Amino acid sequence: MDVVDQIAAVNEGKLSRRAFTRSLLAAGVALGAPLGGARRAMAAPEDQGTYFTWGGYDIPDLFQPYLEKHGELPNFAVFGGSEEALTKMRGGFVVDVSHPCNQALPRWIKTGLFQPIDPSRLSNWPDVIPELVDLEGNDAEDGKVWLAPFDWGQTSITYRTDLYDLEGEEESWDMLWNPKYKGKLGSLASGGDAWWVGAIKAGVDFKDIDSPEAFDKIAAVMREQRPLIRTYTDDNTTLEQALSSGEMVASMTWASSAVQLQAEDVPVRFAKPKEGALTWVCGLMIHKDAPKLDKAYDIIDSLLSVETGHFMINDYGYGHSNIKAFDAFDQETLDGLGLSRQPSEILSAGHFQVPQTQEWETRMNELFEQIKAGF
Amino acid sequence: MLHRSDALRGYLLMSPTLLIMLVGIVAPFVILLTMSLWTRSGFEFDTTLTLANYERTWNEPIFGALLKRSFWISGVATAATVILCYPMAYYVAFHVHRNKMMWIILMTLPFWTSYLLRVFAWKVILGYEGVVNSGLIALGFIDEPLGFLLYSQEAVIITLAHAWAAFAILPMYVSLEKIDKSLLEAATDLGDGPAARFLRVTLPLSMPGIIAACFLIFIPTTGDYITPALLGGPDGVMIGNFIQLQFGPANNWPMGATLAIILMLWIAAIAAVFLFVTRLAARRVA
Repeated sequence: MDVVDQIAAVNEGKLSRRAFTRSLLAAGVALGAPLGGARRAMAAPEDQGTYFTWGGYDIPDLFQPYLEKHGELPNFAVFGGSEEALTKMRGGFVVDVSHPCNQALPRWIKTGLFQPIDPSRLSNWPDVIPELVDLEGNDAEDGKVWLAPFDWGQTSITYRTDLYDLEGEEESWDMLWNPKYKGKLGSLASGGDAWWVGAIKAGVDFKDIDSPEAFDKIAAVMREQRPLIRTYTDDNTTLEQALSSGEMVASMTWASSAVQLQAEDVPVRFAKPKEGALTWVCGLMIHKDAPKLDKAYDIIDSLLSVETGHFMINDYGYGHSNIKAFDAFDQETLDGLGLSRQPSEILSAGHFQVPQTQEWETRMNELFEQIKAGF
Repeated sequence: MLHRSDALRGYLLMSPTLLIMLVGIVAPFVILLTMSLWTRSGFEFDTTLTLANYERTWNEPIFGALLKRSFWISGVATAATVILCYPMAYYVAFHVHRNKMMWIILMTLPFWTSYLLRVFAWKVILGYEGVVNSGLIALGFIDEPLGFLLYSQEAVIITLAHAWAAFAILPMYVSLEKIDKSLLEAATDLGDGPAARFLRVTLPLSMPGIIAACFLIFIPTTGDYITPALLGGPDGVMIGNFIQLQFGPANNWPMGATLAIILMLWIAAIAAVFLFVTRLAARRVA
């Protein structure tokens, strides 16, 4: 019941004053509770590890094994894009574990800011799907790896089936370029997703993404899209709220937004664009100066656990790297989520991100930021 | 000799402040200035001194446009704040006789919460299903929520005008409170009506408060980051956001430093002109 309804109910005498006061109190408690929670998280004892990750991964559900072992959650720091994260760490921000994706992996290794992971210290490692470990540049010496794969999935379009009319067309990235829905479309703000989607839309092969023509073509489609966009944000919650209220009818999102909205009975679909979705594998890296190395391994082991995998698949709709996590789901459920026990089926069906040089990354970010600002 | 030791004593008295100024303002400024003369190469800095960054800001239209937009948004917000707050300050200064302190505290009460929370509150108020939109729909004025309320320059202006109100009320109250009431009586005795009295006595005498309020709001809001970031949408991006980008995703610290310096110079220039104009106007009125 929202506030307007309640006020109306009071006027009509349907809602007693006491009930109204009680719901005000409840609202107050609900508003106050997260503050208390935040304080507790900040007050987590100094001896927990720090996990520097994307928004949405800073929740207790992913850390049950860690919580059981240490009685506290790790400390969290959140970023909106992995380039931003890398810049912060280059500026001297020391964490224990961070969370880049395959596309950034070679560049992250090159900075010398990370140490190889010793898989023998991870109890869940034997269950990790080998093809996810086998990423470009991931092989450190002596059987060690740089990145422990954790989640994989797609970036695509979440759209309101009741508000966005496909008009008989197939689902396609063109939906986010449809002038009919000007001001009702949304996009992730980070070039790490949006620019690659622009490449798909512009028909640029990811192998050729580092060329002047590719830059021109992608920039042109991004400029075309910009006036249609209500807002660019890296905050999933903002996009989810906008989609659920009808403020936006379609937006570029990760799978989790669609799954969470569906769980709330909002009529949305996570599109399977005919050009193919954007696919990625993300994982965990340990900082070379990680102050709590043991806790760093515990954080990773917790994220790779079957329990966490269940949550990732069921509640977020992401693929997980632990093969046993899939056992709890039947094929039909997985199909519905656009997932599979064989990640390659999904990853190669879409457009899998390809690592780029630092120069490319910087140039892309600069250009995309200018386009977003209207130039 | 005595004179000299007086000066010395003065500096000694000031030394804690001077030290803080030196460490906290002058040193960072020198670092900023030096960095703005460097250039980026990959993740490192090329430390040869050059004006390349300044040239870029001159040649590429985006920087000028963002500066202009920032000054516009912040200028409108400043004007709106001062105009809205002046009557409040006026009322407390002239028509409240008891518990003045309580009135002042009541007026600044909303500002005891964090800036960020107030910005978020405005997001809730102006949002698509926010208080304003659902109110207007419930009253039957509109059928569909007004989209321009959020993610627009207007949203940024409204929020800034509210968020900085305390900084306008206090200085204007102080200068209004100081006005000698007998001057107003004299003006009335000499035949001025309320309007003429206000324009010829009250307004000029409260000018220092108004100018202080304008500075206190204009200078920090021009470089504001969080309000445009949360409420501005694509068209509400301001120079502060762009400076942050240079230090974040765009990874070009020297460029960020350059923009910060240019912003500072522009604000100083605008402030100087503003001060000059108001002085001139005040002299003419007097």
